[in-house]
Amino acid sequence: MDKLLKNKTAIIVFVAPALILFTAVLFVPIGTSFYYALCDYDKATRSYSFIGLGNFSKMLKDPIMRIALKNSLFFLLFSCISQLIMGLLLAGLLTNIKKGRNFFKNVIYMPCVLSSAALGLLWAFLFHAKVGINNLLANFGVKGPGWLFETSGFITLPMWVIAFVALWQYVGQSMMLYMAQISGISKSLYEASYIDGATKVKAFRYITLPLIKPMVGTAMSLNAIGSLKFFDLIYSMLGDKTENLKMDVLATYLYRTGFSSKGGNHYGYASAIGVVLVVLCLIATAVINKIFKTENYEM
Amino acid sequence: METTVKQNKPKLKVSTVLIYVFFIFMVIIYLAPVCWIAMTSLKTRPEIYKDPFAWPETFQWGNYKIAWEAGKLGIAMLNSLFVCVITLILTMLLGSMAAFAIGRMKWKLSGAAMVYILIGMMIPVHCVLIPLFVRFANMGLNNNLWGLILPYLTFSLPTSVYIMTGFFRSIPNELLESACIDGCSIYKIFFSICLPLSRTGLFVTGLMTFIANWNELLLALVFISDGNKKTLPVALTKFVTPYQTNYDKMFPAIMIAIIPTIIVYTLFSNQIVDGLTTGAVKG
Repeated sequence: MDKLLKNKTAIIVFVAPALILFTAVLFVPIGTSFYYALCDYDKATRSYSFIGLGNFSKMLKDPIMRIALKNSLFFLLFSCISQLIMGLLLAGLLTNIKKGRNFFKNVIYMPCVLSSAALGLLWAFLFHAKVGINNLLANFGVKGPGWLFETSGFITLPMWVIAFVALWQYVGQSMMLYMAQISGISKSLYEASYIDGATKVKAFRYITLPLIKPMVGTAMSLNAIGSLKFFDLIYSMLGDKTENLKMDVLATYLYRTGFSSKGGNHYGYASAIGVVLVVLCLIATAVINKIFKTENYEM
Repeated sequence: METTVKQNKPKLKVSTVLIYVFFIFMVIIYLAPVCWIAMTSLKTRPEIYKDPFAWPETFQWGNYKIAWEAGKLGIAMLNSLFVCVITLILTMLLGSMAAFAIGRMKWKLSGAAMVYILIGMMIPVHCVLIPLFVRFANMGLNNNLWGLILPYLTFSLPTSVYIMTGFFRSIPNELLESACIDGCSIYKIFFSICLPLSRTGLFVTGLMTFIANWNELLLALVFISDGNKKTLPVALTKFVTPYQTNYDKMFPAIMIAIIPTIIVYTLFSNQIVDGLTTGAVKG
């Protein structure tokens, strides 16, 4: 038996394809990406010249980069906090009802599996300046704001709108994670607390919350990475407008500097943005894990 | 108002009702937009602008035909299917092979291999976008559906390896031992015993992979510029041009894009919802 499981050839046959693929399509390009970030790409000669940290010092002076970074951090914070609150609320309430629990759960989770590009188009129409929600508001004599056009404010209105759409789309994910964790908590803990006179709210505060703390960390890291990667919704809701309207996030700015038909092909600079993105992902995950690191309770 | 309160749980009543009211409200928030696209997709353009929330005067089924042709959605859907199905099959095969070696076979570096693969979960596609694009352009893989399949496969592998490892580890040792005594080779143990026993896992990873890749936009947008090779999400974004938006074509197109997912989702929602969370929960 052991001999069979230690069969070197078989191990290589099984693991090699995945590992080779990983190295070739993921790890080598990441290395290359870090190298490109230190280079300037010349479109005409298609060559890279090493310029050290030039791209990063350029970044410090780049006003669009500042906007993109600000918006990305806004999405990061907003999604972490809002998903935590809404996800916990939904999960907590759902575990309290029996009939229809599955139905509600599945309905709320549904947008997670639908194409962000398609949903983005839908919401873009609903928040259209003249038709959509503003049309409804007009019936009540209220003049709706230009949901996706407003450019004033530190965090512009379109960013808030998109942040809420993202919450709508992805809260099901957090809800599911919390529900899975809550359903793993032993019922006897709750029974004991009810005997001691605890209310449901108190039981939630003193039993559920501490016991799902590790899951809060997991869910929040997923949210954080997801919100930093955020591209589909913004691209489909705003399209090429991001440029004029100060609505870039890191991902859209990277896409524009690298591939947009006008002003694209700055591969070096785009790679540098990519590096910033990865570093932010790593920092966010590390910070969140640090905050929510807990010893495992007996359950 | 309610006088016949049941004796056994008199206090729960009000709060339960409130919870149900809340969730019915949530269901409306979630289903209304989808129903609304369905309705709007059957209207003429002036109708859409006049009152977007009114019922269509006559159902314009022709919209679907126009959108299908104008957006080249047929080709886009075939492209998406091709990419997703191949990625799905390869992910399930390569993922479970690696998972079996990591989860069941005995070698020193199995832990390291797992970590190596799991790092892939944390890395956003964006940071490999440019090197991959440059390399694929040199290899003639851009504007080629295989150029999408490779990265899709790579980014789908971590989750599938992760989930499948869990399934393989839960197979009792006795089963493998008796197979070994009967003279099975390691390949036969994998293909004829372990894989069939982990059907649930395969199903879950398959669904996840398929859904994720079916919806993927960024890579498809960057790697494919040939109109005949576009995938469905990319084809969708083309309905919004900087100058105008063809709403009467856009809504049927959205419907066409999301109906397959909705059907698959309603059929397998329990498996999908549970499956998508398994990975994270075990971690």
